[in-house]
Formats: sequence, structure tokens, C-alpha cells
Amino acid sequence: MSPRLTRRGFLIGTAAVGAGVWVGWRFGVPAGRLAIARVLDGASPPGGIDAPPDAWIEVGEGGVTLYLAKVEMGQGIHTALAQIAAEELEWPLARLAVRSAPTDRGLNDRNGTGASASVSGSWGPLREAAALTREMLRAAAADAWGVDVAGVVADQGRLLHRDRPDEALAYEDVAGRLDPDAVPDELPPFKAKGAYREIGRARPRVDLADKLAGTGGYGLDARMEGMRYGAVARPPRLGARLTAAAAGGAREVPGVTDVVLEDGFAGVVATRRSAAEKGVAALDLTWEGPETPVTQEAVEAATTVRGDDDPGAGVVVQREGDPTRDLRRRTDVRAEFRTAMAAHAHLEPQAALVHVTDGGVEAYVATQSPTLVRDLLAEATGLERDAVSVTATWLGGGFGRRLNVEVATDAARLSRAAGVPVHVAWTREEEFRHGYLRPPVHNVLEARLEDGRVAAWRHRQASGDVAFPFLPAAAQPLLGADFGAWRGATSPYGGMARRATVAERVELPVPTGWWRGLGLLPNVFATESFLDELAAAAGADPLAFRLAHLNEEEDDVQRRLAAVLRAAAEAADWDAPLPEGRGRGVAASVDVGTCVAQVTEASFVDGAPVLHRVVVAVDPGVVVNPDGVRQQVEGSVAWGVSSLLHEEVRIEDGRVGPANFDTYAFARASDVPDVEVVILEGDDVPHGMGEPPLGPVAASIANAVVAAGGPRARHLPARWT
Amino acid sequence: MTDLRVNGRPVQVDAPDDEPLLWVLRDDLALPGTRYGCGAGYCGSCTVLLDGTAVRSCQTPLSVAAGREVRTVDAAPAPRSVAAHVRDALLEHQVPQCGWCMSGWQMQLTATLEATPDVDDTTLIAGLDANLCRCGTYARLRRAATDAARRVRAGADEDAT
Ligand code: FES
Ligand code: FES
Repeated sequence: MSPRLTRRGFLIGTAAVGAGVWVGWRFGVPAGRLAIARVLDGASPPGGIDAPPDAWIEVGEGGVTLYLAKVEMGQGIHTALAQIAAEELEWPLARLAVRSAPTDRGLNDRNGTGASASVSGSWGPLREAAALTREMLRAAAADAWGVDVAGVVADQGRLLHRDRPDEALAYEDVAGRLDPDAVPDELPPFKAKGAYREIGRARPRVDLADKLAGTGGYGLDARMEGMRYGAVARPPRLGARLTAAAAGGAREVPGVTDVVLEDGFAGVVATRRSAAEKGVAALDLTWEGPETPVTQEAVEAATTVRGDDDPGAGVVVQREGDPTRDLRRRTDVRAEFRTAMAAHAHLEPQAALVHVTDGGVEAYVATQSPTLVRDLLAEATGLERDAVSVTATWLGGGFGRRLNVEVATDAARLSRAAGVPVHVAWTREEEFRHGYLRPPVHNVLEARLEDGRVAAWRHRQASGDVAFPFLPAAAQPLLGADFGAWRGATSPYGGMARRATVAERVELPVPTGWWRGLGLLPNVFATESFLDELAAAAGADPLAFRLAHLNEEEDDVQRRLAAVLRAAAEAADWDAPLPEGRGRGVAASVDVGTCVAQVTEASFVDGAPVLHRVVVAVDPGVVVNPDGVRQQVEGSVAWGVSSLLHEEVRIEDGRVGPANFDTYAFARASDVPDVEVVILEGDDVPHGMGEPPLGPVAASIANAVVAAGGPRARHLPARWT
Repeated sequence: MTDLRVNGRPVQVDAPDDEPLLWVLRDDLALPGTRYGCGAGYCGSCTVLLDGTAVRSCQTPLSVAAGREVRTVDAAPAPRSVAAHVRDALLEHQVPQCGWCMSGWQMQLTATLEATPDVDDTTLIAGLDANLCRCGTYARLRRAATDAARRVRAGADEDAT
């Protein structure tokens, strides 16, 4: 492989492959995460020249294949990235093969697939790699014809020359002439927006026909010759440790082939799943601890903003002026909000097929982080990272749960002991009881009004951990507060004279972590509900009140946020009179650079909201696939509705209470409204879409309920009484 | 050995009588189209047709399926069949996100539209509360379901003339 840095600092690598080449790129590391990445991987600075590329475009006799390290979990990322690549490659999208990249091909993505960052992070480097590949193809055709490259045109998989109208070459024809060392020095200019054929078009998803036909591409579907099935014992209570283990009656269970008892670990391998599960049930296990069982009351009591008693509590994550002094003199409005713990409930449980041999590991895993899983498997088996190949499968939902997966190491331990490939899939009960949860959150908001405007605004929030459990301890002081916990907590309204946001860390005896949008939904539920209470106190229209606090000349974000607010309001006929008993609510937020506003029309009947109309306006920057944008808005609205109406995990008997969907409710079809989506396309770069629309959902509905004469929701899920 | 028919073909399975049909299909017969979501009858992801009736295969022991005809998404539906209309509608409306729940919806809608091709939209939509989709594709599901029903009715009219 010959690696080099392009002008813009992305690593490009090329390699010969049969009759063709690979051209690869490395994902750019967003500046904000650079420090974290450095801490996480002290060995090599991100983007370093020694680092192998993250994904490859392969041009060969069979056409063009795109190998992606970004994982398809339902967000349509393989389609969006294929559109971006096809655009600069001048290769027809319908003929672009898209594959999940195994880690042993030098395909690494330390960020994993999450944080709505896949399109924004790939946008620059993927276009560069595609454009460079196209230039190499043009050069190869010029070489074949003995002409100047300037006259060669690449067009939808064919290479054309004005003087040779009957001699068009297919990309496949010149693949054998591609020289991996002849990467052009100058990066060719990208296509002008007006010339786009793929970017900005509502292309159908590349994976849906196969998914509807039931072809096996998910983690639970992975198969290998001679494979068996594994199951692992789980603690009966939060905080319990396995202190003694014996086989008990497990070996007598028909179908059980291996009982694996290692330090703190007990598992069974069998010829079928049900036998493995019965085998685990027959093990003789002793669990000890914790001294004090975890209780729901203790979790709730801990999740409380301490700032009133301890003014130094927490980390200031936003401050303009000193609102605290103002508020001490006079606070006009104060409100509190709480968000319950919640589960991911991705419908396909985590699953992995792993084969450990002396020489290496082959693994197919439903994970958002194949590179992290590779490192974990290397650690678990004592093999070199290079000897471990992890291929991410399709995921039946990710939502942050699969940024960290335990199932691959389970399968690796069992495979190593049994000497055969072992497939482990968690049961629904394991998913509920032994994963990590959305942390509980408490928000306290205070404001002082002057002349109908916010003169001082203070938001203090206390949250269980989100990102911290997954970062090395050294990263915590570097970051100050957990960026996942305070995501969405700061105020984008520059027109508030003085404002501050303080994040307090709550350490809980319950595992908490990544969950779609991280703190976005709870924090925006609190801030945008509170803003409506301030508008009411000021006697102002909620929409006008928001617009009055956005300094549109000050920065681009405030301008774009005002634009989505106006667009949503206009599409939802904000000023049109409503029938008796109906109300409209608005809310807005900014997340990963994407601006979103939602207007909901609701009534409040028999103690519950009825949603008559939902309009969402979104500005995600460049739109790669408008139908993909709509899908993500629709899915986010469903998630927000679900959190507002239903979702709650409580601790019972020292463990996570719900074990299945009978005791954990999430939105069904009749809960979820149709959504009208207005897309305002910014023209700079694409931002994220997987999480940002989740921001305003709960607050917009809660505000509509109040406008309709109902009570103010103070909890997620809402207790309307 | 248990005999049954799966997607029109006779098969023999060597599995315990109480083994859920779901795992017989997935693990013994290597047909990955039928999906596990809860294993307890709540989510509907594992829905298959047993002699034309929708059942939750996680709650159907192999002994119950013995000697009967099982239909799953793994076989391509016959052109212009109800199952084909359902699949086409789900694809055209680009309904799936992660796609994991979709086999269940396909089989559930196919069973409904085969049994009652003239089902009205309100009944059809109310029936969608029986299954779960975590990605929240429900708005598109409503459109695809009513569209599939329209196609089924149009096909029936065509056949009648
Ligand atoms: S897996 Fe059968 S109903 Fe959920
Ligand atoms: S599409 Fe993901 S669960 Fe329905």
C-alpha cells in the first residue's frame, strides 16, 4: 500500500488488487473529538500517516465496490455514502456494490457509527477518494488510447473521447491499467452542485429489497460451517459477582457439548440455542453482593440538582454574563423537569458469530464499532489486532446500544474453549436487564424577565453518565463534564442578556450510557418547555418570543434556527384559528449543526394528548438524500412521542424491572402521527440527521397540550395529572 | 424426525417437539427471514403463516407445526399474489429503517389481506397495533398497508373481468 496525505490532510492509500486498484480514505476526526481520540489511542495520533485507510473504493473487472466502515443500522448510511461516492466517481448508483468492510483489510473507524456523524465525517474524504479514483481511470484511458488526458471524459461508468466516438471504454476495461502509485498530485475540483445526479435525490435505499426478501445479513443470521450456539450466565441482581461456579446438571442436558467456567464467567455451548439456555439454567452458581441492593428510590434521590445547597456543584458548560447574581435578586419563573431511565429496545438483540483459532479470529458482529470489537477480541484472546477480523453485519437497530457490545467477547470465550465457531445472541430479557440505560436526568431552570424579554437564564441539570463509562479515566478531567449528558442543554438564544448552563454529574449504581441523541431529548424537553412558560409569563406568543431572542445577524446558527421556526410555523398555519379544545405548540433545537423546529397541533382528551398534526422543519446543511432525511425525522418523532407517552425503566428487587415488552412499553402504530417534513437546504456541508430531530419532539407536544388547556408535563414519560 | 412443509417444500427436522418453530426455521433450516424480537409473543417479528393463518412462531412448538404448511418471507412470492402486493408496497413506500420487524409485518398483512381482501382502511390500520417497530416506521406502514389493500382489490377486480 502506498499512503499519502492529500492537501486537506486526509490519508489516501492505494493498493493493487487483482486486475484493479483500491483507493482508500481515512475518516476525518472532528476537531472537538480530537482530544478524546488522542487519549483513547495514545499509540497513534488520529489521521497519522502510519494509520491505514478506513474504507476503500475497489475498481476491478467486476465493476466498482465500495467497502464501508460505517455500519448500516437502519439510518440509510450505506445509501447516502453510495450516492456521495457515485457522484464523483461518475459511476451509476444502481451498479455500485456496497459492502461492510472487515477490519483486517486495513479498514478502521475509531469513532464507530454514531453521533449522527457518518455523512458529515465522510463527506470530504469520500468525495476526494472518489474523485481521485475517477481521475486515475481517466488517466488509464488516455494511456490506452495514447491521447492527452484532458480530452477524456468520465460518464456513468464509461470513458469517452470526442475523437473516438465508437471506442468508449468501460471502467472495467481499464481496471488492469490502473497504477496504484500514480495518484494525481492535485486534487481535482469537485463537481458543481448544479451538475449533481445523485446528491440531493431521493434515491431508494440500497439495502431494502434484500431486507424485505429476508436474506440473512444481520448479526443474528450469521452462519459458519460447524457452528454451535452459546449462552452465558448473568447476575441475578445489579452489582452481584460470580464467586463460585460448577457444572451442576448442565452436562446432562441433551445437546450441551461444553461447559465453560472461567474467572467470573460461566457459559455453555450446545448444538442448539434452547439447549445452551437450559444448560446455563442447570449450572450451579454462587452470586454475591452488593451489600446494599440498588433501589429506585436511591437512584431518584441521587439524580437531583445540588446547586441550591452547593453553589460550586457541577461544571459550567455555558456562560455569558452572570445570571446567578441577577437571579439572586429576583427570579420570576423557576421550573423543574425529570426524565426517567429508558431502554434502547432495538428489536434485533445483540448477536455475534466468532471463530477463534490459534492463528486468528474471524467474527461477524452486530456492532456500531467493529474496530472497538476487534480490539476487545484481541485482548480477550491474547492475539495481535491484525490477526482479528471483525465484519459488522446489518443491525436490527442500534440507537447507541451497539457502540459497546459484550456479546462478541462472550462468543470468543466460548469458541476458544469449544474449538468451534460459536454464535451467541442475547435474549430479550438479557437485553433489558444486562445492558446499559438512558440515564435519569433532573433539570432546574430559572429566569428573570425585563420588559418582556429574558434578562437572566440559568439551567442546571444533573444526569447519570452517558459517555464517561466508555472513556478512559484520564479523559474525564480533560472534558470536565460528560458531553453526552449535557448535549442539548445549552441555550442557542443569543438574545438572552445573561445565560448559564451547569452540568452536574450523578454517579449511579446502575449502568447508563449512550442512547439515541444522548442528553438531547431530556434537556430540550426541559429548556423548550420552560421557554413556553416564560413566554406565558411575558404575555407573548411562543413563536414570536423565540424569534425575538434569536440574534439572526450575530451568527449563522441563530439565523438558520429562526428560519426553521418560521418555516414550521408557516407550514403549520401557526396564526390560523383553531377549534375549541385544540392548541399548537412549538419547540426548536440545534444539534450537530442541524437546526430543527417542530409545531404540533393537539388536544387533550381523557387525560392524554391527541395529536392532530405534526410539522417539522429541518435544515441539515447539504441534503444527500431527502427521503433519508424524512425517514430520520419520522423515526425521531416516533422516539420522542414514545418517550413522552411511555418509556420508563424502574429498578425493582435490586435489578432492572422490565424484562420484556409486556412490562416495557414503547410507541405502537396508533401513538405515532403522520409527519409533514419541510426541508430547508443549507448549502455548506451536510450535518447529521440521525438524532437532531429528536430534540424538539417532546417539548413541542407538551407545549401544544398546555395550549389546548391541558396540564404542563414535567416528566418524561409525562404524568398528566 | 418431524415432517412439515415450508414454502411449498417438504422438509424433515430433527429437533425436540417443544422447540419453537422460530428457531427450527432459523437455525435448523437456515431460513433467516423469520425474526426474533421478544420470544414471548409480544412483538410479532416472528409471524409466519401456518396453513394460511398468522401465528407467532416463537410461541408455536414444532409439534404444532408438524404435518402442516408454513409460509415465511424467505420464498419469493408468486407474481401478483397478495404477498407480492404487500412486499411491493413496503418497498415502494421505502418503509423499513433497520428492517428487522418487517418480515412480521409482511406476513401479518398478507394473512389479513388473503382472509379479507375487502378489509376497510380503518380496520386495517387498527390492526397495525398488533406488532412493534422500534424504528418507528408506523406512518409509512399505514400508507403501505392501505396501498397494498388497494392493489389486492384492484387485482381481484381484474381477475373478475
Ligand atoms: S419474537 Fe415472537 S412475538 Fe416477538
Ligand atoms: S424497521 Fe427497525 S424495528 Fe421496524
